[in-house]
Amino acid sequence: MQEVRETPVAKKYNLDGAFASHFAKSMFLTVSGLFILSLIGTRMFTHIDLNLYGYMVGTLVFLGGFFYRFIAWGERPPAKLILKKGIKLLGRRSTPKTSVEHLATYKFIWNRGIFRWTQHFLIGWGCILSCLVTFPLVFGWMYFTMEENGYYTVVALGMDIMKVDAEGWIAYLFYNALNITAFMVIAGVCMALYRRLKNMQARAEQTFMYDFMPLYLLLFISITGLLLTFSNVFLHGFGQPTMSLIHQFSVIVTLIYLPFGKLAHIPFRPMSVFARNYREHYSEQSMKECRVCQSEFVSTEQSKDVIDVLGQNHLQFEKEEGFHLAELCPPCRRKYRISRFSGIPTHEIKVKEANQNAKG
Amino acid sequence: MGRKLFLELENCIGCRSCLAACTQCGGHDQRNRNYVLDVNPFVNRQTMPLMCLHCVNPACARSCPAQAIQIHETGAVLSALVEKCIGCQNCTISCPYGIPKFDVEQNLMYKCDLCIDRTKDDIPPMCASVCPSNTLQWLTEEEIAEKQQQHEMENGKWVTSMPYLESETNVKINLPGILQGKEKLF
Ligand code: SF4
Ligand code: SF4
Repeated sequence: MQEVRETPVAKKYNLDGAFASHFAKSMFLTVSGLFILSLIGTRMFTHIDLNLYGYMVGTLVFLGGFFYRFIAWGERPPAKLILKKGIKLLGRRSTPKTSVEHLATYKFIWNRGIFRWTQHFLIGWGCILSCLVTFPLVFGWMYFTMEENGYYTVVALGMDIMKVDAEGWIAYLFYNALNITAFMVIAGVCMALYRRLKNMQARAEQTFMYDFMPLYLLLFISITGLLLTFSNVFLHGFGQPTMSLIHQFSVIVTLIYLPFGKLAHIPFRPMSVFARNYREHYSEQSMKECRVCQSEFVSTEQSKDVIDVLGQNHLQFEKEEGFHLAELCPPCRRKYRISRFSGIPTHEIKVKEANQNAKG
Repeated sequence: MGRKLFLELENCIGCRSCLAACTQCGGHDQRNRNYVLDVNPFVNRQTMPLMCLHCVNPACARSCPAQAIQIHETGAVLSALVEKCIGCQNCTISCPYGIPKFDVEQNLMYKCDLCIDRTKDDIPPMCASVCPSNTLQWLTEEEIAEKQQQHEMENGKWVTSMPYLESETNVKINLPGILQGKEKLF
């Protein structure tokens, strides 16, 4: 009873009380943030490029979808734990290194295969760089002004950042950034498609909607983007307005689809940094000893958390011997099962499992 | 449609064909995902296989924060989706039978997927295809029901699966009374 009475009072005095739901709060804060940045970036909306407003709408819809998915996901007990503890542990000294390995260099994918890694690197960085160029332009965080003397001024968040020679190589990179990234994405997508057509395992499991759609969407964006450049450079802008609309359409569809399909693993990937921090931090705190063989196999915290989560799912693995199965190291858990089958206390016989790794 | 894996544990001769066959399944990357354990190593040579039992309410999937462990429409509990697994290893701690394996380098869990590329078309999984001693069998519901009838004797000495498992599973198990000094009567 006590709790029930207290909750509304507590709510009134903190920020959460102002919002109908987590979703409403996240959406409100993010959209306000974007708005304020745009306000500053465009010097009070004096330098906004309204040709790009389609992307703006697309981004807002994407944010809606993303928060919807993310919050639904975060409600599940195991996700909630990782999320809550992961955020607290972001200050760990190893966070930058882990983040770079997981989010920038994809070291773990390298270990899964070099072909896979190359494909991820091309698509991943192609997309990240494209976003880094596109979104600041869309929201007016960055724009260029041309001066008489053949120099561009780059204005970022309302401040003149630098002057670049309109003919120089930096300017060249600016103009062509999206073309370069388009080629990266196309190369990566082709590698992925090649694997999907040739690899027997992939062929057995893949479905059109889950595995091919996102690849075709990325291809659609990149090709229409390149065609825009093509029409500018070689056709003196012929067909440019139509192409520009098709390109916008492709981007917006992809943005809307992104949180729901396979591409959702991109915004969710930072969770692996949380998971790594969680494991490292609590392992340093204290390790759990297997209740049978006393070897340390996981952090005490994680063993406890897993038991909690299982309980919330009505999975009770307490045994009459007085331990919970999650307190046994995996080998002892396997032997314990054999003992349940055979009636012989296999888990108490101190012999290592023999010959477990067949060589293919 | 819908045959299931059925284990007659006491038939196992410890040849480890199932482990070798497992390495050859598509996508298993030459690594086996099942186990063959000695039951009473200092006393006799009896062995028993152990693999994922494909729980109806799988602890591994329930404890996975990333929803990386999916349940196939056939009931098979699949290995972690490579793009979703965040490497927390909750699954390895929660599985009541200690089945999921974890690759630290790849930051990825891998476990028995009941050779889903085969079993979804009702082709037996690799392990059952090669088992020479009929320990691992691929049977229809009726055949399993028949076996269970044989095994569930009135004296309660021969039973299948429950209560020696933690919960309902898709893989059915026949428990070996022989090792507990009971005779097989058929
Ligand atoms: S036996 Fe373990 S790995 Fe297999 S479904 Fe059950 S909990 Fe998951
Ligand atoms: S290791 Fe991967 S599959 Fe296992 S619980 Fe964690 S995220 Fe899920």
